[in-house]
Amino acid sequence: MASDLVIPGQPIPLPRGPVPQLGRGIYEKDSQVRASLVGVPRFEGSSLVISRVRPQPPTSNSVVLGSITRLSPLQALLSIMVVDGIPLPPGEEFTGVIRSQDVRATEKDKVKIGDCFRGGDVVRGLVISLGDARSYFITTARNDLGVIFATSEAGATMEPVSWQEMRCPKTGKVEKRKCAKPEGLL
Amino acid sequence: MASVLPSSSTNPSASSVNSFLSAAEREAIKAATFQRLHPRIYLERFLEEKIRPDGRPTAENIEDPNAWRNVEVNVGSITTAPGSALVRIGKTTVVCGIKAEICEPELDNPDEGFLVPNVDLPALCSPKFKPGPPTEEAQVLSERLNEVLGNGMLSLSSLCICSGKSAWVLYVDATVINYDGNVFDATLLAMVCALKNVSLPHADFDPELHRTVCTRSETDPSKPARKLAIQEDLVPLAFSFGVFAGSHLLPDPTASEETLLDTYISVILDAHAQVLSVSQLGAGVDNYEALDQGVNNLPSSREADTLARCISLAKKRQAVLIKKVYNTST
Amino acid sequence: MQSAFDRRRINGPEDSYHPVFANEIHESSSHVHRIRENRKISDIRPIFLQPGLISQANGSAYIETESMKIACSVYGPRQSKNTAYNEKGRLNVEVKFAPYSCELRRSPLRDAEDRSIAVAIQQALLSSVQLEHFPKSTIDIFLVIIEADGIEGCIASGSIAASTALADAGIDMYGLVTSCATAVKGTDLWIDPTQEESNTANGTLILSCMPALGIVTNVWQSGRIAPSEILACIDACNDRCTDIHSVVAQALLDSAPNKI
Repeated sequence: MASDLVIPGQPIPLPRGPVPQLGRGIYEKDSQVRASLVGVPRFEGSSLVISRVRPQPPTSNSVVLGSITRLSPLQALLSIMVVDGIPLPPGEEFTGVIRSQDVRATEKDKVKIGDCFRGGDVVRGLVISLGDARSYFITTARNDLGVIFATSEAGATMEPVSWQEMRCPKTGKVEKRKCAKPEGLL
Repeated sequence: MASVLPSSSTNPSASSVNSFLSAAEREAIKAATFQRLHPRIYLERFLEEKIRPDGRPTAENIEDPNAWRNVEVNVGSITTAPGSALVRIGKTTVVCGIKAEICEPELDNPDEGFLVPNVDLPALCSPKFKPGPPTEEAQVLSERLNEVLGNGMLSLSSLCICSGKSAWVLYVDATVINYDGNVFDATLLAMVCALKNVSLPHADFDPELHRTVCTRSETDPSKPARKLAIQEDLVPLAFSFGVFAGSHLLPDPTASEETLLDTYISVILDAHAQVLSVSQLGAGVDNYEALDQGVNNLPSSREADTLARCISLAKKRQAVLIKKVYNTST
Repeated sequence: MQSAFDRRRINGPEDSYHPVFANEIHESSSHVHRIRENRKISDIRPIFLQPGLISQANGSAYIETESMKIACSVYGPRQSKNTAYNEKGRLNVEVKFAPYSCELRRSPLRDAEDRSIAVAIQQALLSSVQLEHFPKSTIDIFLVIIEADGIEGCIASGSIAASTALADAGIDMYGLVTSCATAVKGTDLWIDPTQEESNTANGTLILSCMPALGIVTNVWQSGRIAPSEILACIDACNDRCTDIHSVVAQALLDSAPNKI
């Protein structure tokens, strides 16, 4: 198993024994295993991968961060800025949509979008599917998903007080949001 | 900062991204993520520590030459242009090439040629731009550069070949290759250096054939090519500043800083560090303590105060830059 | 020479033309069969290739082969705008000549030549990129030709720069694409012709391939070439592409520590 840098198209020598599972950055063609990225092939568990930190489009099950750009009674539009922990360059955001039935797991039919998100909120979501031509479908129906950063009407950064409320530290006023479970939130 | 990130355990691909990285690399990605989500707070936190995101010093250390990014100039490398220059300010890169063509002077100004500066901001240089006609930003830049270059550093009558019949037109085209802020200063410097690099062939107007014929100096040494008659005293250099959050003066802003600025100030000086032009878009700095006490005659209004400060900083910088530019371009 | 008045640019005089030199016609005819002074007809121009100079882009490369100078940047994968849902990604190539890049000044407006070069480069790269990894997305490749010396050279060097920039951007590829041009003059094959050389050739051929896989991605032929000569051109270009591949590989490996 070479620990050297390889370039796209370069054959990768495999260890003796069964062919390992091939992960990202590696492909097999005509029974030859080759690199598709510049990098060092290495094992991650049982699969061989070449990892590369670069901005990538969302796929199913990607965790994304983005800000709410538009609200309607049926859905909230999300401008996706971070995919799987890697920020996208400014101007290269993907558009996501959180439909009202995907906001939370319970009482789906009673969701009021306006009580869950406001424009400018930073939201953590999970990609359900590639969606339609325009946007990716995003869900926040999990404890760790939802609003992680929001500004109050008075302009201060709010703190979550429950999974559906946040408080403004300036005025003490409580605003409604679908909050993500705070793991030492800002 | 860390809390802004998704927990990697929830996603297999996220964990694979993180597993092979060193702690420093993971930290860098976290910082980039934070900057992406909260660009303003990100810059504020740096400035609180008296440092800019690219490592330059701020505020009280502003006299430090390191408050400005490194400038590199390379002239004459494009063989298809009679004058050219490549300028780098930090990572901002601009190429300027000049093409000389022959035309008929205007009826109103029979003894004058033309100087036609244009900036191109192609889609190549930044994710901000898309292919197509010049953006508003490019139009504004070209317009400003046209004003500055028209200040008399090159007399248009020196481009005349034959009064009323024939004159040179210099197309000064700058292409931004990497857009990392302060493109105006870089483009003006590239244009000036390219103009100084131009050499025009000897040209004669033939009244019988009614056309202009040029001579290559290699074929007839008695008719040598000539440099442009540039008024060295009036050669302009630009020094730009940004004001962030009303209290921080940032010389030579980068692209990520530029998007957060309230105010943009450009000071243009001639070769003797005399002010040729000053422009300010937006309000000045309102926190006096952030400014240096070195400015003696403090004017009353804060705008004038900020401008005085910028002009004095520009003059200091000009002394450093002019040495560097002239040493490389001659 | 000038295109119509454009209020979005600073405009010059209505009409201007490239300087005319005395004895010019005489001079250029003597160039026709000028032999190469500094390289053999079977040699390519030396390549300087630097990935990663354009910090604003996801990936980039700058290539210089003597007087040819091309900058290339890659943006994306970013969301495809105004297109129907597509399981595969789109590869978009745009080429722009700087106005000062050629002997005659080029109007800043896009012309047919920009487009035909872009199409040739897009074809050279298309089968090398694993577009199935990028549903609904577009990968944009932008090239600015800073100085040109031959259209064939623009396509060949442009393809090399673009493939390098894609690798620099971390876009999954089956292999690196390299490209080489050749001109048939009389019975000779002139590798990597300059503008002047291809102007006086019977025909030219540009081969793009993935040397690591031994697969040709694009052949672009124009002019008059006999079938047997075409095969000879392909063989000659294929050999050079293998040489160029090692230059590209080295440039990528040298720049790799800067970018994980």
